[in-house]
Amino acid sequence: MTPSILALCLASQFCLVTGQLLTKHAMNATNLSPIPWPRVLMRLTLGIIVLTGWFFIWAGLLQKKDLSFVFPFEGISPVFIVLGASIFLKEKPTFKSWIGIALISLGIALVASS
Amino acid sequence: MTSGPTQAPRPTPGRLKPYLAMVLAVLFVPAAEILLKRGAMATAVHHGTVAGLGLNVLTSSWTWLAIVCYIANFVCWLYALRHLPLYLAFSLLSSTHALVPIGCWWFLGESIHPLRWTGIAVVLLGVVVIAGPAMKAEQRL
Repeated sequence: MTPSILALCLASQFCLVTGQLLTKHAMNATNLSPIPWPRVLMRLTLGIIVLTGWFFIWAGLLQKKDLSFVFPFEGISPVFIVLGASIFLKEKPTFKSWIGIALISLGIALVASS
Repeated sequence: MTSGPTQAPRPTPGRLKPYLAMVLAVLFVPAAEILLKRGAMATAVHHGTVAGLGLNVLTSSWTWLAIVCYIANFVCWLYALRHLPLYLAFSLLSSTHALVPIGCWWFLGESIHPLRWTGIAVVLLGVVVIAGPAMKAEQRL
């Protein structure tokens, strides 16, 4: 794990989490009545642009490393997503959900350390 | 980021449909990742800035198949997101952390250490802990 690979992993994480938050924000608006299409499409477009950034960073990483080596570093993303969804989207994960998320992160850490 | 004041939950036809969309979204991920890795392997060069940005992966047809899978994943994902909270949907999507290494082992011949198998089992346990109560709650509705 060189500094440049680590930087690419972090950049890909940031794009992935931001893109997912924007996408969910867009889809939340589709539950309004009437559906505010300009708002939905603007958020969705922004989300897709950020996720496209994630795609190319990710493809660049895959050219340098094995998929099973770099994939675990995406593992911290559930934690960032849940934090982001709680802060920005006002979602309220249950206690059991936090246990599940902790297990997922622990599992991914185990996968990464092997 | 706040929603407008006219929040009115729309009727959800078929309560399990978001979960079906979730399962499809999950399955398209290992398919896309394995195809993209094939594309990346076919186009890997070890010098030049264009390669560093990952842009030349687009010259492989494996990559385009991967993109089709990513798009299918995204459509299923959008449908699921419309009905499920992000924390729940993304946690369910995390089962790909178990499915992708299994796919790497099965299709790409990459090796899996016993500790990694343990990690895969713990990830799946976490997914079950989150998904189990949520699905039971949905079925009661």
